[in-house]
Amino acid sequence: MTILDINNISIDFPTSKGVVHAVSNFSLSVPQGRRVGFIGESGSGKTTTALAAMRMLAAPGYVSEGEIHLHSLGDTNVLKLSDDEMRRVRLKKIAYIPQGAMNSLNPVMRIENQIWDGIVAHEGRVEQGELERRSRTVLESVGLPASVGQLYPHELSGGMKQRVCIAIGVCLKPDLLIADEPTSALDVITQRQVMQTLREVQETIGAGLILIGHDMGLMAQSVDDLAVMKLGKLVEYGTVRQIIEDPQHGYTRQLISSVPLVGGESFIKSAPAVLRGEAGPLLEFDRVTKRYGEITALHPLSFSLDGEQPKIISVVGQSGSGKSTMGSLMLGFTAPSEGRVTFRGKDINRLSTQDSLTFRKDVQAVFQDPYACFNPFYRVDHALSFPFKRFGLSKGSAHTRKAMEDACHAVGLDPTLVLRRYPHQLSGGQRQRLIVARALMLSPKLLIADEPVSMVDASLRATILKNIHDLKDKHGISILYITHDLATAYHVSDYVMVLYHGRVVEAGPPKEVIGAPQHPYTRLLIDSIPWPDLDRDWGSAEEAQKGLEALAEGKAADTVFRGDIPGFDLSVRA
Amino acid sequence: MTTHNTAGVAKPDLTARQIRRMKRFDNPWRNPKLIWGAGLMLGIVTLGILGRLFWNTDLVFTGSAPLKLPPIGFENLRGQSGQAGFPLGTDGAGRDLLALIVIGAPNSLFVGLLASVIGMSIGIFLGFSAGFLGGRKDDTIRILSDVMITIPPLLILVVFQAAFGDVSLTLMAILIAAFMWQSPTRLIRAQVLSMRESGYVQMARLSGASTMHIMFREMMPNLVPYLFGSFIANVTTAIVTAVGLEVLGLGPQRIPTLGRIIYEAINSGALIQNLWWWWGLPTILLGLMFIGLLLINLGLDEVSNPRLRKL
Repeated sequence: MTILDINNISIDFPTSKGVVHAVSNFSLSVPQGRRVGFIGESGSGKTTTALAAMRMLAAPGYVSEGEIHLHSLGDTNVLKLSDDEMRRVRLKKIAYIPQGAMNSLNPVMRIENQIWDGIVAHEGRVEQGELERRSRTVLESVGLPASVGQLYPHELSGGMKQRVCIAIGVCLKPDLLIADEPTSALDVITQRQVMQTLREVQETIGAGLILIGHDMGLMAQSVDDLAVMKLGKLVEYGTVRQIIEDPQHGYTRQLISSVPLVGGESFIKSAPAVLRGEAGPLLEFDRVTKRYGEITALHPLSFSLDGEQPKIISVVGQSGSGKSTMGSLMLGFTAPSEGRVTFRGKDINRLSTQDSLTFRKDVQAVFQDPYACFNPFYRVDHALSFPFKRFGLSKGSAHTRKAMEDACHAVGLDPTLVLRRYPHQLSGGQRQRLIVARALMLSPKLLIADEPVSMVDASLRATILKNIHDLKDKHGISILYITHDLATAYHVSDYVMVLYHGRVVEAGPPKEVIGAPQHPYTRLLIDSIPWPDLDRDWGSAEEAQKGLEALAEGKAADTVFRGDIPGFDLSVRA
Repeated sequence: MTTHNTAGVAKPDLTARQIRRMKRFDNPWRNPKLIWGAGLMLGIVTLGILGRLFWNTDLVFTGSAPLKLPPIGFENLRGQSGQAGFPLGTDGAGRDLLALIVIGAPNSLFVGLLASVIGMSIGIFLGFSAGFLGGRKDDTIRILSDVMITIPPLLILVVFQAAFGDVSLTLMAILIAAFMWQSPTRLIRAQVLSMRESGYVQMARLSGASTMHIMFREMMPNLVPYLFGSFIANVTTAIVTAVGLEVLGLGPQRIPTLGRIIYEAINSGALIQNLWWWWGLPTILLGLMFIGLLLINLGLDEVSNPRLRKL
């Protein structure tokens, strides 16, 4: 029995420059109790299709043809319902679990009131006791204690908020749940818990589930059937096993191969490194501690990075582990509470004006968000040419222009297509590569790459990582790669540090640390990665919980050293 | 929520007119509100310029014209009808109303603009300093502006103006500006605080940019729509304050302004004598000025915030 039938729908967005066909001739059925995944890049029409079923398309979009049927409504076309009839369908028959749980809850209402809202809107007046009983039940069904109902959203963590959104979605036991990238803002460990919760709740109430996402690994662990979308068209549809083991369409193959796996040889071929011939420590942390009020973001940490042979050091951890604090300390954006950060023997927080300019030239960064890194007021050239001139590297405007073009070529961009444009005219991938090109032009000694690929479409990640890796191999730049993604850290780095609550818990070469983890936290991180491999199961919610409990039992403070590499010396003193 | 309901299903009825209206948003500056508002303000400025060129401005002096003549086409209580020499009538002291308006309206606008320019300049400087430099400077500026906001400006201004006696337009603008910088300071400080952590500011810091460069070359251009909006709102407030003082009989004593005309009309019993043109015409002009400023402000809001643009 199918719950939802989408028959041959097309969705158009009329704009002043003509009609944009966001989705064309899309047909799909969701059987009862089955999980269907919609996968595709941003702009592929996956969310638009799902929203059309809820009649929540943003104006001026509209369904230009086709029909949508909900089984429980009989033969009625959902698109023909009146507004009030549609209102009664939403949440009761189809529930939507939004992407940003952070912004989806009303900050001035208690959680239980937000759950009651939906119940009262559909069932009229309900006894207070009954409401309380139902909100308790539904919160418990998503693995939250009933007392959460009394709290306000700001008192919950990201994972808890997302579970509250799931609870609101399932409180009326709808026929169909639509989850729009419900875990994209969460780290891997929380992602695993939330997805497991969603799966279990969906099985309990027997609803169909449409899961929208772009991560093949997450899909493999969460859904039964998979619809691959590209540019508004359904390019492939089948069971997950069929699609992962025998993909027919080139785009599907590309999506599958874009997920890096831990193990085996690196997908990046290492070329012989260029020696810079500058021995002596490049960057040193001397018992650096950072506290924000009561919270210690980074416990005392000491290491020394030698400049002679460029290498990539990865810092891995969840959000809140202190890895970005570390990056910010290295860039001199924040000063340590205790200890010293030195670059070539000089304390970076006590530099003279001249030294500080040299330091800026020698230490560059690539940040997480390629959309924010360009000033929207200027053409993208400004971001490249300004530092080039500022550091006195330019020998006239023709030279600057030549350097920009060379840098673009080096990262695989066509300068005629990207230069002289405004940032909003370029894609996220192009912008991030331009930022890498910028770093290349300045030829720093050290590059801090803070989650450089987490906001870029999956298919481009490998290319950008390759660009960054080339900076080390071809241009002799040492790189500090800050990430939450163990798989990419495994492939690009020479040395890995795993951070947990501001402490290094495991460190060593990636083949040891990530390939055969020993610390319970590292193991938990690796178990939480969704593999695009059906035979390697994610495990159940209890297992995940057990992993977390094992961590809480202590021992977490001890660092497991897994071997050294020349040129990097990590010593953690209390 | 209700706005989505019908939008998702039926094909929006796109007539040629609607498509033309959509096209209009391709260039956000071609905003009808903005154009109308700017048109109104330009009209008042043009009135001032053309008037000075083609009208005898000596008629603003007392006794240069017959008393209490009505505008053309009307009769006053004495049965006199309007004369072509004084098309908008004359006041109780024998001044031509057209000449008064030609001189007075630009004066009122000038006080508003000057006060706002001074206030905004202080606000930009303090707002950027507080937001970007932080620390003790931020505390000082914030506390100072918060305290100043709680002081009712009219009260202080009345005392000041009474003490100064006859003031010039510029001095009046400066006095008003002293109460005009707090809200831009707060607005800019808030914007700068959020912008300071943005990616491109971090990139500029990495590029070795100086504080001045970051503040005025990287951040400021992105604040232009806010600054304009705030500027226009301040012009309105400054004109209201100036007119308020003038109607109380304070402010410049010898220079015609719209507020001064209204003050004299009220003082000479124009309301009782049914000399409606005396107080009515300057009031209409002030109204037009405020409508023009409001339209510009709304238009600028839509330019800087595309979500407000409607079909």
